[in-house]
Amino acid sequence: MTILDAVLFLPLIGFLLLLMIPKSNPNLSRIAALVISLLIFVISLGLAGSFSGALPEGFAFVHDSEWVSSPPIRYHVGIDGLSLWLVILTTLLTPISVLASWKHIDHRVKEFFAFLILLEFGLIGVFVSLDLFLFYVFWEIGLVPMYFLIGIWGHERRIYAAVKFFLYTFAGSVLMLAAIIYLYDRAGTFDYAQIQSMLQSGRLALSSQAEMLLFLAFFIAFAIKVPLFPLHTWLPDAHVEAPTAGSIMLASVMLKMGTYGLVRFCLPLFPNAAHKSAHWIIGLAVIGILYGALVALVQPNMKKLVAYSSVSHLGFVVLGVFSFTQQGLDGAVYQMLNHGISTGALFLLVGYLYERRHSLEISAYGGVATPAPNLAIVFLIATLASIGLPMLNNFVGEYLVLQGASYTSFSATVFAAVGVILSACYMLWLYQRTFYGKASESLSHHMPDLSGREWAAILPLLLLMVWMGSYTQTFMPAISAQNARILDLSKERVAQTPPSQRAVREVANAR
Amino acid sequence: MQLWLIPLLPLAGFAVNGLLGRRLSKTAINAVAAGSVLLSFLWVLKTLSALGVFGGGTPLEQAYTEHYYTWIQSGMLNIGVDFAIDRLTAVMLMIVTGVGFLIHVYAIGYMAHEGGYYRFFAYLNLFMFFMLVLVLGANFLLLFVGWEGVGLCSYLLIGFYFTEKFATDAGNKAFIVNRIGDFGFALAVFLIAVHFGSLDFATVFGKVQGMPVESSAGWMTAIALLLFVGATGKSAQIPLYVWLPDAMAGPTPVSALIHAATMVTAGVYMVTRSSAIFLHAHNALEVVAIIGLATAFFAATMGLAQTDIKKVYAYSTVSQLGYMFLGLGTGAFSAGIFHVMTHAFFKALLFLGAGSVIHAMSGEQDLRKMGGLRKYTPITFWTLLCASVAIAGVPPFSGYHSKDAILASAYEYAPWMYWVGVFTAGMTAFYVFRAFFLAFFGEPRWQAAAHDAHGHDAHGHGHGEPHESPPSMWIPLAVLAVLSLAGGYINIPKWLEPMFKVPEEGPGIPWTALVSVAAGLLGIALAAWFYLISPAIPEGLARSFSTPYRWIYNKYFVDEFYDSVVVEPMIDGSRSLLWRVVDASGIDAIVNGTGKTARNLGGILKRMQSGSIRSYAAWVVLGSIMVIIAITMGGGR
Amino acid sequence: MPANLFPTGIEYYRILPEIILTLAGVAVMFMEAVFTNDDQRKIFGPFSIVALLAALVASLSASGEPGAAFSNMLIIDGFASFFRALVIAVGVIAILSSTEYLRREKSAGGEYYALILFSIVGQCVMVTANELIMIFIGLEISSIASYVLAGYLRDDPRNNESALKYFLLGSFATAFLLYGVAWIYGLTGTTNLDHIRSALQTSTPPLALAGAAAALMFVGFAFKISAAPFHIWAPDVYQGAPVPVSGYLSVGPKAAAFAILIRVFMTAFGPIATRWEPIVWSCALASMVVGNFAAIQQSNIKRMLAYSSIAHAGYILVALTANSSTGSAAAMFYLAAYAFTNLGAFAVVTYFSRKGEKYVSIDDFAGLSQRQPAMAAMLTIFLLSLIGVPLTAGFFGKFYIFKAVLDANEVWITVLGLLNSAVAAYYYLRILVVMYFKDPTDAVENLDAPGIGLKIAVYASALGTLILGIFPGWVLDIATRAALK
Repeated sequence: MTILDAVLFLPLIGFLLLLMIPKSNPNLSRIAALVISLLIFVISLGLAGSFSGALPEGFAFVHDSEWVSSPPIRYHVGIDGLSLWLVILTTLLTPISVLASWKHIDHRVKEFFAFLILLEFGLIGVFVSLDLFLFYVFWEIGLVPMYFLIGIWGHERRIYAAVKFFLYTFAGSVLMLAAIIYLYDRAGTFDYAQIQSMLQSGRLALSSQAEMLLFLAFFIAFAIKVPLFPLHTWLPDAHVEAPTAGSIMLASVMLKMGTYGLVRFCLPLFPNAAHKSAHWIIGLAVIGILYGALVALVQPNMKKLVAYSSVSHLGFVVLGVFSFTQQGLDGAVYQMLNHGISTGALFLLVGYLYERRHSLEISAYGGVATPAPNLAIVFLIATLASIGLPMLNNFVGEYLVLQGASYTSFSATVFAAVGVILSACYMLWLYQRTFYGKASESLSHHMPDLSGREWAAILPLLLLMVWMGSYTQTFMPAISAQNARILDLSKERVAQTPPSQRAVREVANAR
Repeated sequence: MQLWLIPLLPLAGFAVNGLLGRRLSKTAINAVAAGSVLLSFLWVLKTLSALGVFGGGTPLEQAYTEHYYTWIQSGMLNIGVDFAIDRLTAVMLMIVTGVGFLIHVYAIGYMAHEGGYYRFFAYLNLFMFFMLVLVLGANFLLLFVGWEGVGLCSYLLIGFYFTEKFATDAGNKAFIVNRIGDFGFALAVFLIAVHFGSLDFATVFGKVQGMPVESSAGWMTAIALLLFVGATGKSAQIPLYVWLPDAMAGPTPVSALIHAATMVTAGVYMVTRSSAIFLHAHNALEVVAIIGLATAFFAATMGLAQTDIKKVYAYSTVSQLGYMFLGLGTGAFSAGIFHVMTHAFFKALLFLGAGSVIHAMSGEQDLRKMGGLRKYTPITFWTLLCASVAIAGVPPFSGYHSKDAILASAYEYAPWMYWVGVFTAGMTAFYVFRAFFLAFFGEPRWQAAAHDAHGHDAHGHGHGEPHESPPSMWIPLAVLAVLSLAGGYINIPKWLEPMFKVPEEGPGIPWTALVSVAAGLLGIALAAWFYLISPAIPEGLARSFSTPYRWIYNKYFVDEFYDSVVVEPMIDGSRSLLWRVVDASGIDAIVNGTGKTARNLGGILKRMQSGSIRSYAAWVVLGSIMVIIAITMGGGR
Repeated sequence: MPANLFPTGIEYYRILPEIILTLAGVAVMFMEAVFTNDDQRKIFGPFSIVALLAALVASLSASGEPGAAFSNMLIIDGFASFFRALVIAVGVIAILSSTEYLRREKSAGGEYYALILFSIVGQCVMVTANELIMIFIGLEISSIASYVLAGYLRDDPRNNESALKYFLLGSFATAFLLYGVAWIYGLTGTTNLDHIRSALQTSTPPLALAGAAAALMFVGFAFKISAAPFHIWAPDVYQGAPVPVSGYLSVGPKAAAFAILIRVFMTAFGPIATRWEPIVWSCALASMVVGNFAAIQQSNIKRMLAYSSIAHAGYILVALTANSSTGSAAAMFYLAAYAFTNLGAFAVVTYFSRKGEKYVSIDDFAGLSQRQPAMAAMLTIFLLSLIGVPLTAGFFGKFYIFKAVLDANEVWITVLGLLNSAVAAYYYLRILVVMYFKDPTDAVENLDAPGIGLKIAVYASALGTLILGIFPGWVLDIATRAALK
């Protein structure tokens, strides 16, 4: 029983507790949800402790015990520099989402918070599982509550969005399941570390074709979640229709499941296939960066705009991952966190605006800065963070990603950097159209400035933006060390592949 | 040495005014804002004297560096928060904090009646912070921090009157155009890290020294050019100068501080800082010279026809920045920095003077609605005269010295550049004095339409007739006036000698100087003739040369060109092609299409279910026949 | 082999469950005649449940004494015991979810319970049979009972149609089976599965003809398990029959039929596996595709579940293609998981449909989650299990099956099957959508809480679904030990 187990299972307990609260008392469930999520957050901070100073080799807070005897499915969890901050990000954003939904959710309150906490359970599970099967289980569990969050508490086209979200992801993940089962068949275990070392040592040698197929099976499942162009079209719908909390959790944490999977599984398990595919994946990433930005440029709907901006931002992450450089990988992982913070903040603030004006159309706003100066300032900071202003978090991530990419393919860096210009365009235009100008009568009347609760929700994110932007040493060492390990494992295993196949690969690369 | 105090004092000022400003009294805000800058100015003085700058000897031969903490550490790449100070930085520090302080003081009077008072000074302090980080930073990334930071502040201050669309538009334009420049800068940074494995100035330039000078185009040239792309954005050079004239939408002190004296010269500083790289890439250096010269010339022509007093000075700024790059491009880095300093003096003065005029005219900025202000605002009149003669390059005032140094090196490099420069100098003198005469001489044209204070600078507290500004405004003017007159004798080239060697001048005044001075005087004379003696001539010229005049008046339609060639296609393309076609009717159509096909297939299978037993039996028979045949024929043993 | 005319005690002990159930059935018939007033007739349900539980105990204890009975006509091995326990358990839940329905329809007759008991007897005989004739007899006992059950509500035309179709097509298919049996007897001179096997191994008979016989028998079985292309009867019958009966038919007889299918083909026809594997393979694929895609368009929940059951038959056939012990173990696990899940789903439908099965359209479920959250949640669990979402029985069922076939290097059927399950998600989600995302209509407004029997049935099935989903280990261990080698 480690802290990690507590962090993982408290949400489940909280979920059951919330189910027991009587429907008639919504406030009680609100408070309960807040208390539980805050408790989990505080405990999760304990995880960071063992990563300050001397970093542990491999995984910390490991708990490995049998779940199912045959096939040997184990409850094997643990965290390293890669998952640590993602877990804490999850536990941080859950209470914030609770606060964001305090007033926003007024019907079926109890169920809402129950699902929200259940979602936290699934998300944390994904990041801590060290058993492929367990990973898949949590991967699917996360799907269900989000499906309900969108479907029940969403906006007009919520059902379409919810079903689209579920099917898109489910279709991707069944392929991953096939791959997992196949791996188990070959390796006789689901254990991540064991399979890894087997592949590493060559005790489990995959033909380059099999490796490629497995890689693709995992990659597609992850690419849908990321989402990587052209598999992104579920995201705008899901975001626009989801309630504020749903958007926050979706953008800030759920998308990271995909990028996390890329780093955790695709690279170390199938390095040859990864290297072989790097060029076209980088291509897609860059297309995604520009495409997302350009489409965001012309969105009349705030949430859609931010959603497409996520497509662009996560393109950077994928670019960094497949640059196979320390800087690129560090930047990618850092960018996962940054995107979680700044995009989460943006969705939160858009939610604030929506609660006041009940519209997501940018044209319904204008001049908000006059009646609500604090809201304007806060939104400005979030905007600046998301367009990568130095000393704010995204800058570090984007810089490292591009720096890393510039080692491997400078042309990709050039195009990706154009995305940085575009991000300034769409965010500043959004900001101008929303906050600047003269406020109309009706708007000024329904535009109170930030309330205490709203401050409480947004302030931590703002502080993190500055902190992560100006002093990276709090977070980076753990990430960097783990990435170095992953990079080491992701070296091409030329030795294992017979010459004939190597020739094939050379041809493929030449092409 | 505590260099960190220099930028941190203004940052503290920003924090105080930004967080508590709404509750503070104006005097308190003034004290914090101006006080913090004064303190950092004093700290600069103390630091420099501690480094022995004001004593004799040869101080600061080596850069003095302080390391605070590691900012980013990834693999081999280590980027620290380090501040360094050398002779170049020293100059910039003096300019930024000194002029900056004066302008803060001026702003206290100028903004006295404005809303968002605390916001204004908070932004101004924040700007000082980033500008000081920019000049103090000891590696390219920290330089970039300041670089982007000042861009942000300029965005915020241009859009200070955020209820006015044109102001916020101008702000966005400034930020985005600068982003395009930063794009180049960033790429340069990446390449530097790739090729030198570090971003520290010391390391990088140290390595450069050992390398051969690049004759043809290579990665060194690429780095240099990309850096220069950044410079063209920040320092408003062709093709990215378009944001600066619009930037005049901000309050006048902002125009003076950011868009004349300090921020826009960041590009010059950055190129000078990277001189080692540029000196190893001659093609790049040549590009710098040509772009600089072209900008100087075209901006000057645009300045000829402007009717908004601030716009006149704005184009003049662009033009003068062109001069500086001409200097750098022709290898006279110290001359460039020299001009940065003198320009800071007289251009700040010009803007502040203009502000004082606008203040006097209760917000009017249109030269055609001024005139005869001489009697009403004597101090402004005299101070602006000092500035004008300084910029016109009349000896022995500051402009003469720096401009002469640049033109001299231009002549060394290529005579034709020199001649273009001289012609530009003539134009400069002409439009500056044109504005001067239009404002202060001739018949007052403002009785007619003075007090409809519609000025861009929404700065109107219309009462009575024009009036002189309060001391908080004219004292800085006076100080700057003295500096613009005498500033030329602060021998920057000599001070920078250890960093950039200067071609030793021959005895006496070279003829190149005489020619440029003559051009300047000629320009002044023309202006006097056109706008004092016979005002009919300009209209006549405008009429007879209507086509060129219209082009100049409309700034060669460059904005329109960019809009129609870059902006609109991008927007339309994204909306009608990417979003509506690729996303909606492309990818999503496929996704939903699969769903539809599934449903249709279901429909077909449904039809198998006729409900009649006979057909069902038929199915069973059919199926069983298939199965039997399959098995019996099927292989196996 | 000397035929022992006088069975020993142990042999009776081994078939004690069948005996108990037969007696119970007969007893119920008697009571039906004797008891007149309704209070007395209330006893039927509890009585048969007790009988079933007794039978369950008997069969479990009998599994401790494995071996043959009645001169090798029956064999009580792990495989048989597993299925015997399963079908009896199914009977319990089926009866629990029926009582309320019957009361509602004013036809709480004893014969209903008797029929269920008899059909279970038949199924027990099927799963224990080690000999083609016994298989046929068991099949007939079970089927004839089912035919009547399908048309139980005499005055309801839907019932009549359903029963008639089921009967005619059923007997038609049985004819194929019988013909196959006869043919095999002709070829090998025996009906005992093991002897057939050895006969085929020593390839004296022409294998093509043996294959034909196998094909004929396969047709018979495929009909019972409603595998494409012999599925066409299922939608009509399930839709027409009383809801609890449909639920019962979709699991009980199906499980038994699968049991004998696996037994016959893996033991008797093992030697000619290469001949029938492709057939099973294509039937599996066809069933999955037909079931899933046709289900997408259904608006009637009974009919939709019918198609889904066809699809699931496809998944189980996939396991058979592996033709390995892991395969049969996976199939056993899946059948158990599916039994709980589907019974539960049908139980909720039973509860919801109300008198005269007024509300069986999917849209009627709109807003159920807001009026009867508990029932909605249970149905959600069953649907998620049918989709195959982790922590439910259905997930592990699919997992084991696809694992088994991957062991046999059948990569393509795996991928196709998994993609099919993604398609299936679509129509199961539709029910979730209406239950949770739509606002209540009058269909759910006048809905009162379920009776005790139904409650137990639903919660028991849900519990089973979750236990199999979270701790699948123990059931799988039993299955693996009991699986046919």
